[in-house]
Amino acid sequence: MNKTKSFFSSILKKNATKTVITSLWCALLGLVLGFVVLLCINATEAGYGMSSILGNFLIFKSPDDRWNYFGQTLAKTAPLIAMSLSILVSYKAGLFNLGASGQYSVAAMVITFMGIGANLPWWLVMMAAMVAGALWSLITGALKAFFNVNEVLSGIMLNWVALYLVNGILTSSPAVWDSSHSEASKISSASNAFIPSIGLDKLFAGNPIVGLGMVLVLVASVIIYVLFKKTTIGYELKATGLNSDAADYAGMSKVKNILVATAISGALAGLSASLSLQNGFTSWRLSSTPPVIGFQGISAAFLGGLHPVGVIFSSYFIEHITEGGSMITDLGFAPEVASLITSMIIYFSGFVAFFKEMMRKYEIKDEFRRISRNKGELR
Amino acid sequence: MKDNYAIEMLGITKRFGSILANDHIDIRLKKGHILAICGENGAGKSTLMSILFGLYEADSGIVKKDGVEIKVASPHDATKYHIGMVHQHFKLVDTFSVLQNIILGEEVLKEYEENPNFLQKCFNWLNKNVLKIIDYDKARKEVEQIVERYGLHVDLDKKVKDISVEMQQKTEIIKMLYRKNDILIFDEPTAVLTEQEIHEFLLILNNLKKEGKSIIFISHKLNEIFEVCDEITVIRNGKCIDTLNTKETTKEAVSALMVGRKVELLSKPSRLGYSEEVLRVEHLTMVDPRSKKAVVNDVSFNVRKGEIVTLAGVDGNGQQEVIYGITGIKKTQRGTVLLNDKDISAFSTREKTKAGLSHIPEDRQRHGLVLDYSISENAILDRYYEKRFSKCLFLNQKAIKKYAADLTEKYDIRSNGDENTAVRSMSGGNQQKIIVGREIERNADLLIAVQPTRGLDIGSIETIHNILLKQREEGKAILLVSLELDQVFALSDRILVMYEGEIVGEFSPEEVSRDLLGLYMSGAKRDRVNAIK
Repeated sequence: MNKTKSFFSSILKKNATKTVITSLWCALLGLVLGFVVLLCINATEAGYGMSSILGNFLIFKSPDDRWNYFGQTLAKTAPLIAMSLSILVSYKAGLFNLGASGQYSVAAMVITFMGIGANLPWWLVMMAAMVAGALWSLITGALKAFFNVNEVLSGIMLNWVALYLVNGILTSSPAVWDSSHSEASKISSASNAFIPSIGLDKLFAGNPIVGLGMVLVLVASVIIYVLFKKTTIGYELKATGLNSDAADYAGMSKVKNILVATAISGALAGLSASLSLQNGFTSWRLSSTPPVIGFQGISAAFLGGLHPVGVIFSSYFIEHITEGGSMITDLGFAPEVASLITSMIIYFSGFVAFFKEMMRKYEIKDEFRRISRNKGELR
Repeated sequence: MKDNYAIEMLGITKRFGSILANDHIDIRLKKGHILAICGENGAGKSTLMSILFGLYEADSGIVKKDGVEIKVASPHDATKYHIGMVHQHFKLVDTFSVLQNIILGEEVLKEYEENPNFLQKCFNWLNKNVLKIIDYDKARKEVEQIVERYGLHVDLDKKVKDISVEMQQKTEIIKMLYRKNDILIFDEPTAVLTEQEIHEFLLILNNLKKEGKSIIFISHKLNEIFEVCDEITVIRNGKCIDTLNTKETTKEAVSALMVGRKVELLSKPSRLGYSEEVLRVEHLTMVDPRSKKAVVNDVSFNVRKGEIVTLAGVDGNGQQEVIYGITGIKKTQRGTVLLNDKDISAFSTREKTKAGLSHIPEDRQRHGLVLDYSISENAILDRYYEKRFSKCLFLNQKAIKKYAADLTEKYDIRSNGDENTAVRSMSGGNQQKIIVGREIERNADLLIAVQPTRGLDIGSIETIHNILLKQREEGKAILLVSLELDQVFALSDRILVMYEGEIVGEFSPEEVSRDLLGLYMSGAKRDRVNAIK
């Protein structure tokens, strides 16, 4: 009895377990509050609304429909995973990539020109998108590395620069612009630039947007995991993020590390654009706000405990809720309500840090005892 | 004789999990006396005091004040019984003024006192229960009385973040006195002070004693203890070893009791037969970018093989900057640094490391370690790129682990886990040993050690001193920065005294007295020295 208890408490003390627990708590809290809002708006339909948000593709009767929409949710999860990896990489290196939307926008423009205009092969377009994202991100990185400009500020400003730049250029390029829908033309499944579905579409009732992209983003997660766990680059980046003075002392180059981190981060934001545009599901739309995925990536990264594997699950959760939410309009809720609910859930998911702090406080007495037992000073 | 004691703690036992932090400890503090509690880091001093101050509850044992048993369940209770404590890390609000900090929690409210009329009575009631307007003038008068009486001069209107550590400590003391405490606990109060400030602090302690306060003084610095304390209680491994009368014992006896063995410093053999120069610093000049003042002014010296050269002086006279300049943490304006006859002034930190420079930095938590990294990750902090530890961008985990395990064993680095333990959870002494071990193992020609024993207990100091002396014997050149005269005399071959950014005196430890060194350190005497031998 005592043994199992100590076994559980030792598991509970593990950082990873703590992160998972807090993430689940946050998700649950978001769901509960979302439900309360639904109740306030339309009490009779609230239960059904919530079940369709949670159920997403499960609300369909036919297995084919279920597989089809499940595949769709998965395919839309891929860009979000890439985006949260982008946030994660910069965060581990002590930077905060709030300019991911801008990097996404610039990559989207490159994809539109290369994919629709030039009809180049998909892998080339994808790589170009990543390079474009990296280059745009390097503007922020260089400003930070050489002039110590705060990366959050320059990142946000560059989001708007990118937005208007891309809007301006694309709307004045009739070859790739579909003015009747105020959006760029979509990449068709017959195009060279379309990410092949390598047979995965058949698993998901012929939904063509399911494909290699999903696999690639999982590979990217593993690469990022290995980068931080096993390589000197990751070792340096993390050291810089945790204590940049010590990194300096140890002879690590701050300039190099900032540039490397921002470049990887930007490339992943570019990958995110590639994964959402190159399966023909969506395209660049004329908008007056930067793409929202750049910010969803932050929620997903934190909800995923800033772990390359964790973000796979958190991204899926967020996408699942978002997709499910888009279905409740059929139940007589205004479309805004769906976004309200999902964004509330996502918002509370971002409370991971807060909950972790709560848990830490709960344990602080323990900690204090342990430290004062070890030594006289409390530094 | 029972009521002769101000505080008695009898049979105090406190267990944390499987570890016995306090094992039937008895301490008795006589009225108007100063009792020292000394012991190594982790001996259980802080736990004991936390029990007295109500932060922990003892598993068994009783606390008596003036012969009457009391129950202190919280710091609030402690204040009720007039027990005050100055923690090692001050509990002050940075953005409040000194006065505000002193009265915090014990504010004097505005009140009409002499025959208040009805309206004034109304105001009194309202202010007491709702408004709570503070009567700063009255509070100031009370505080000023304390300041005068004990000679604790502090600018009451300055914000805490703008005053020195010494002043902050005075603020803490006034805070205790303002609460009319008569039992005063000081937890390692001198760890943050310089030699001069310590002297002044000890005078204050004597003053407080004269005014009838009873004081508990936690420290492991024996010089101070013998200067002011009446009795000494030695604690080791959670047990009370002995209580001695200061007048009837010696420092050697107490230190042996503390460590549980005889402390033996390797004797320093006189000059070793080397003469080759390893480090040569010429005309080093550094300007503070903010104040535009020269913090290092035309400093020249050298360090030869098998030699320990010490930069001594009062804190903040440019010693740290010289090191920053040599290691490249800060920019230099003029001057050259030669390592083994190679000009390394323009080298990056990494290039300097590779050229044979090892550095134990002053601030172990800021520069020396990544606290959230494990022991093994910290063990390779400045050599992870070496072939031994990484191949084509990939870290060689096996080699790193092995190396960290060796380091842990060789330098007796203790943690409550293996090499994967986060350094943050370890004690200061053991953190320092990681750095010392790492830098020594690099086997570089020049070792720079800045205050390598700051905040450590006697046992760890002994270990580190012996390591440094052994390095010297092996023919390494060592540049030491130290603020502690004991250390300066124990280790140096040559002492260079720095004052206001200049080297103002060069001595050999055999030829100079502490007093003379003090005169140079305080700037009362100064020569112009080119310390290249």
